[in-house]
Amino acid sequence: MKTPVSVLRLPSGPEPNSRGFDPSSPRFTALCSSSSSDDDDDDEEQQRLRSELRQRFLWTLSLMKHKLVQFDMHERVRMRARFGASDLDVLRLQVSELETPLGVQREALVRSQDVLACSFEL
Amino acid sequence: MSPVSMAMRQTPLTCSGHTRPVVDLAFSGITPYGYFLISACKDGKPMLRQGDTGDWIGTFLGHKGAVWGATLNKEATKAATAAADFTAKVWDAVTGDEVLTLAHKHIVKSVNFTQDSNCLLTGGNDKVLRIYDLSKPEAEPQEIAGHTSAIKKALWCNNDQQILSAAEDKTIRLWDKNTKEAVKTLSFDASVSSMEYIPDGEILVITYGRTIAFYKANSLDLIKTVDAPASIHSASLHPEKDFFVAGGDDFKLYKYDYTTREEMESYKGHFGPIHCVRFSPDGELYASGSEDGTLRLWQTAVGKTYGLWKCVLPEELSSENSEILYCPPAEIKA
Repeated sequence: MKTPVSVLRLPSGPEPNSRGFDPSSPRFTALCSSSSSDDDDDDEEQQRLRSELRQRFLWTLSLMKHKLVQFDMHERVRMRARFGASDLDVLRLQVSELETPLGVQREALVRSQDVLACSFEL
Repeated sequence: MSPVSMAMRQTPLTCSGHTRPVVDLAFSGITPYGYFLISACKDGKPMLRQGDTGDWIGTFLGHKGAVWGATLNKEATKAATAAADFTAKVWDAVTGDEVLTLAHKHIVKSVNFTQDSNCLLTGGNDKVLRIYDLSKPEAEPQEIAGHTSAIKKALWCNNDQQILSAAEDKTIRLWDKNTKEAVKTLSFDASVSSMEYIPDGEILVITYGRTIAFYKANSLDLIKTVDAPASIHSASLHPEKDFFVAGGDDFKLYKYDYTTREEMESYKGHFGPIHCVRFSPDGELYASGSEDGTLRLWQTAVGKTYGLWKCVLPEELSSENSEILYCPPAEIKA
């Protein structure tokens, strides 16, 4: 029986909360011009705006709980369902009584990337 | 093959992170910081990885649909992606920032930089090849029409003076960039599933059905064909042209001797059909992308110390000074 080749470790995977491109990496520091304080201010402002948008998004998700939500999908499909929860990466949405063109699904997971828009009454 | 290689079993390195099928991948050239790998995924988030280890560097965020094609320039300073959101995007591959969005009229399937990175070639479902001058991005692209179905792949060749394109109309066409005329057309019985251009030697590698075919890129004269046991989606020729690898529907990777056309090895590992496979620029490894959502790195010379693989002689395995942290378990047969 052949011996499998040994490895030092497995390739590292993506960080959950970052898009990567580490600014402290040798390649980044060598190839990118150093940022001026103006850039830093812009970055801070952008970060503040992003945080605000993210907060609003998370609040919206929590407000949606138990509400009747309308999902707009491709091919002009509209479905209504009672919203339950989203998973951590907002990849799947847990819903109940999902009204689909094929009938009502008591419990379902909707793939969030397939949803064009969703709306609900506050 | 060395005696060590013959005694060792291939340990592929799995790169996880994508959540949907990986449909395209490309390597950069060799840079002072090593070489890099970009993967296109139906989850819309192409990723950049260090080429020799598979370590994730960053994710290009911005596309709103499946990414069908991805490429890097030689220096790995720019990336380009083609997506189902009807755009091709150009990215700064060092910072991950989006640099340019090029709107198209339909799904974009393929992107390719010229050697000087100044022009970008795109092709997709609207059947038109487009050439963008990246120094004048607001200017209208040059267009080359002729294909009668969606374009799957478009590549620069012959010192960026000609263009090779493969489409669902079951043809491969060679175009002159200046006259925009088709210089030669190849017709097939089946749709071409992949195309790779090797500038050194001007070789074109194409796959269709179970066949891997090699052509002279400037004349489209056939060099040779090889038939595999299963339908092949992608193949890649080693830089030194001694082997080629191919993968497809049966989830396996096949390694062939280019000269004798004999199958040398086959490797299991993926849990879905293989969509793309490419050799690294130094030929030491090849990467495969699959329907199972992973990229895997495979050694060309199994057992050699390279990247994360470590050649361990039997005596070393039991040595107290061994630095090996991970030895894969014996394969469990399903």
